[in-house]
Amino acid sequence: MFSRIRVWAATVTSVLVAGALALSGSLPAHAANYVPVSGAGSSWSANAIEQWRTNVQQYGMRVNYASTGSSDGRNQFKSGTVDYAVSEIPYGITDGGVTDSRPTRGFAYMPIVAGGTSFMYNLTSGGKQITNLRLSGEVLTKIFTGKITKWNDAAIKADNPGITLPARQVVPVVRSDGSGSTAQFTAWMASQHQSLWDSYCREAGRSVPCGTTSNFPVVAGKGFVAQPNSTGVAGYVKQRANDGTITYVEYSYAKNAGFPVAKVLNKAGYFVEPTPSNVAVGLLGARINTDLTSNLSGVYNNSDSRAYPLSSYSYMIVPTALQNNFTTDKGKTLGAFAYYFLCEGQQQAPALGYSPLPINLVKSGMDQIKKIPGVSAQSIDISKCNNPTFSKDGTNTLAKSAPAPQACDKQGSSQCAAGTGGASDSGGNTGTTTGTDTGSTTDGGTTTTSNNGAIGAGSAYDCNPDTGVCVAVAAVPVTVDQQPSWGPTQTVMLVSVLGLLLLVLLPPTVVQVIRQRRESGK
Amino acid sequence: MTIDTPRKLTGVRDRVDLIYRGVTRSGGIIVLVIMLAIGVFLGLRASQAITADGWAFFWQQAWEPDSGKFGIAAVLIGTFLIALVAVSLALPMALGTSLYISEYAPLGLKRTLIGLVDLMAAIPSVVYGLWGFFALQNSIVPIARWISQNFGWIPIFAVTGADPNDPLATNTLFTSSTFIAGIVVALMITPIMTSIMREVFSQAPIGEREGALGLGATRWGMIRSVILPFGVGGIIGGTMLGLGRALGETIAVYMIISPIFVIQPHILQNGASSISSLIALKYGEASPFGMSALMAAGLTLFIVTLIVNFGASAIVARSRSGASS
Repeated sequence: MFSRIRVWAATVTSVLVAGALALSGSLPAHAANYVPVSGAGSSWSANAIEQWRTNVQQYGMRVNYASTGSSDGRNQFKSGTVDYAVSEIPYGITDGGVTDSRPTRGFAYMPIVAGGTSFMYNLTSGGKQITNLRLSGEVLTKIFTGKITKWNDAAIKADNPGITLPARQVVPVVRSDGSGSTAQFTAWMASQHQSLWDSYCREAGRSVPCGTTSNFPVVAGKGFVAQPNSTGVAGYVKQRANDGTITYVEYSYAKNAGFPVAKVLNKAGYFVEPTPSNVAVGLLGARINTDLTSNLSGVYNNSDSRAYPLSSYSYMIVPTALQNNFTTDKGKTLGAFAYYFLCEGQQQAPALGYSPLPINLVKSGMDQIKKIPGVSAQSIDISKCNNPTFSKDGTNTLAKSAPAPQACDKQGSSQCAAGTGGASDSGGNTGTTTGTDTGSTTDGGTTTTSNNGAIGAGSAYDCNPDTGVCVAVAAVPVTVDQQPSWGPTQTVMLVSVLGLLLLVLLPPTVVQVIRQRRESGK
Repeated sequence: MTIDTPRKLTGVRDRVDLIYRGVTRSGGIIVLVIMLAIGVFLGLRASQAITADGWAFFWQQAWEPDSGKFGIAAVLIGTFLIALVAVSLALPMALGTSLYISEYAPLGLKRTLIGLVDLMAAIPSVVYGLWGFFALQNSIVPIARWISQNFGWIPIFAVTGADPNDPLATNTLFTSSTFIAGIVVALMITPIMTSIMREVFSQAPIGEREGALGLGATRWGMIRSVILPFGVGGIIGGTMLGLGRALGETIAVYMIISPIFVIQPHILQNGASSISSLIALKYGEASPFGMSALMAAGLTLFIVTLIVNFGASAIVARSRSGASS
């Protein structure tokens, strides 16, 4: 019987040794050059960061990111538990009477990506999903302050002449955790519809003026639903049974969920969708402060007919001093990662549901990278980054070539029928559209801003439909090594599965063997 | 004549005994010290918030520590309601399972069933949470709706704002509720309750079992007259241990409920709260004072759970089955 145990043991050892050998033998050598860095924060920009950190794995960089909400990210950076944080709002904002103090460690803000805080909704009428809803700012504010409670409210009807709206209850879904999305949305409400917002805050027991807050106040009994994280609110809205829900979330979440977003009325009187180009146009109104944070009131009031009013930037908070376990080795990884996403990473932003940074912010961001201790500074020719916003003359190409909104998107009696967001493939609720122009919203597919391309793909030239001038902007595809069918990852997986099986099976087998030996010995 | 004096017993303790005694004793002491340290730590950190809030901490229904308005009333009651739903669903489930395993199941099946129940305990709570949020919620809403329509006259089953005659009535009234969170927590506490009850039932004296059967009792009669009276301590103790776990369950509840900070007695209605999920939700972004308030909430939960667990062990120890185990 001993021989059986011995065979077992031999097998185990050989499997483990083989696994270890396979691991050490086939890991790429350059992986050792980068130490892992970890960060936490915004779920608003998490989809972009998730893509970037996956992409840099091919260079051997291990960048960890926990999408736990902007407030949590800022606090973790402050207490030194993460190497970097991502947040939509800076430190120093007074929220509910408490000022968010600045961290004692040295830090700098670095813009990482732009995007639109969109309003994803789940609404059906007559068994058909509505995908072309339009909402003006005041209606949106009234929805999220509990003033409008039914979808067939006269105010919503006035915005949507082409849709037959059901007599369903409006269920606003808000974030229960401290969130940058909430801060973006409430900052907009406080700036544009202050009296409505303040009266709601008073109901919720907050002191007024309410201003920007990361924690959406919920008044019990109003039928609001609160869920943690962007995935939580988007996941709640996308459950088919939760008809009548609407939430605020970054555009990429609606795209991923396959759900439509509301077109929001801008100052020019057009209802626009937060497409990458509309966000780029909107952000032309942003005033950038010297520390690279932004003042967005110019975005809210942007009078361009293509501007999306709730456009904003997301920031990475990077350390500029060697404190809280931050080392020069970590600085090297973080710096290389930052160079990647500020340059190459930006071209993927449109496909992910974000908008790429304009050239001035990329340049300033590159200057911020130099402040990270331990970074190996690179002199990148940013004209080779293939960022769709770059042009020869310094203007924002993406914003310049953004298609003008269709006539049916103008406030008035007509309404476009095409779907929005993640539901743009399906036709909208045609209902009783009175407008004549019911074409699709994208302009013939001549621009690289169309958001259905695969990441890194796209046509090689960006042609301006007005001037006919074509500029070579399109991406050189990111080279990704073909995944070998059997690599170290697979070996590790196999070894761990075998280890788990052993852990479960070995003790009973040994017991069985010992018992049998005892019985035969009697 | 010499008076008989009892011989003095001098135990010869060899080194192994001494080492063993030292290890076990220090282990026991360390556990007690850690418990005490946790309590002291929570108390110290909580003192700032409790002194600022005074007695209002126990009756105020709000959680805005930074504006000075916060209290444990709503969250504590919410915690108890979730635990109550969980225990009242888990108790029949655990009792039935453990009786079947210990009394009815054939020997081969028995081992598999025990393994399966233990496997349930090994599933991480975040998986239960994801399952509850994405899968269970949609299927349970019609049941919640049916209960509220037919038993809505019982106050806790009422759902304000639900109109059964409105075909467009919103589904969301019945989501993210105490009820759904309670169901998920019930599944999480069933394994521990089952294994304690099964352990106790299997210890029922064989002589008494055979006596009952010999007197002509059916198997069910034997269970009623021997097993259940013998195992009542285990049933109560297991239930209270389950209750202790249910009070502290965090992530699954956090993912399902839509937190509100007023007392929500309607268990089927959207909106619930629990202390542990409140802490999980707020600690990341809390100001120093807010953190102290969360510590005060944690201290409350710590004390409540201690009482429940001590109560459970006292009951188990006093019962016939517990004394022998």
